[in-house]
Amino acid sequence: MKMLTTAMVPTVLATGDPARVDIEVTPKFKAGDKVTVVNLNQIEHNRLPAYIRGKVGTVTADHGVFVFPDTSAHGKGPKPQHVYTVMFTARELWGEAGHPKDRMYVDAWDDYLDPAS
Amino acid sequence: MKDGNHSHANVLIPDVGLRVKALESLLAEKKVIDPAALDLIVETFETQMGPKNGAKVVAKAWVDPAYRKWLLEDGTAAIGSLGYIGVQGENMVALENTPEVHNVVVCTLCSCYPWPTLGLPPIWFKSAPYRARVVIDPRSVLKEFGLDIADDVEVRVWDSTAELRYLVLPMRPEGTEGLSEQELASLVTRDSMIGTGLAQSPSH
Repeated sequence: MKMLTTAMVPTVLATGDPARVDIEVTPKFKAGDKVTVVNLNQIEHNRLPAYIRGKVGTVTADHGVFVFPDTSAHGKGPKPQHVYTVMFTARELWGEAGHPKDRMYVDAWDDYLDPAS
Repeated sequence: MKDGNHSHANVLIPDVGLRVKALESLLAEKKVIDPAALDLIVETFETQMGPKNGAKVVAKAWVDPAYRKWLLEDGTAAIGSLGYIGVQGENMVALENTPEVHNVVVCTLCSCYPWPTLGLPPIWFKSAPYRARVVIDPRSVLKEFGLDIADDVEVRVWDSTAELRYLVLPMRPEGTEGLSEQELASLVTRDSMIGTGLAQSPSH
């Protein structure tokens, strides 16, 4: 393993650890699409919060192609795919407890989303 | 919530510091890390990163309409143009608060936070109560921070679950027309850029 030296620190901090990848991947969705979040319950690492599983939301932005943590965290490759912001109404997530005006925005990888039926 | 959290589940247990120290010594002895490099990283976070950076972004957006437009369209580039780039600032999105919309940011999965503009997150941002409650009941949580959100204002909660990092652009306070960009920046608090506070008024 190469040791991080003081000379490397400014570059490392300024460069960051880009999870964005510069390759063409066909997006499954576009802004405005209605999506249903998959009901994922795998034990392995994932970045899908439980409170949106099975819920219906609307894609508000496509942020481009990123490494997929579910596979990359387990040495199974980057599986690059699009990341979107998905908007949910508070009512969709929390029922009557949700304020009728409030909205929740969550970022999600392609593999977490299905077209809403 | 800010000062009243005494739950032991959310504070570092005392021997964590000792364990970190032991790990650091061991890694240094085995020449895996250079302690001087570690010191430089800590020093960089202590002296160069923090909410003062984000405040400069906000103040510039308040006085410069073209910059504000750029910031809202391409946060990473606009923030990067002021030199605030790097780890945990690779993909920035600015969220504009208006009289109709109030934005607030959380990371329910862990503690994702825009380091170059805000520094390291406050303890409460990482605490389970904030992360769980601001999602399902944002108005009560904001009230505990001293923010009364009117019923006709839309609250947008942003969960930074992926690689985007969010910076709230708070509303410019009333009575600040004559202030310089530097004076304006001094009114921009850390919490106002997370969405759990407002920018201070000049009389504060």
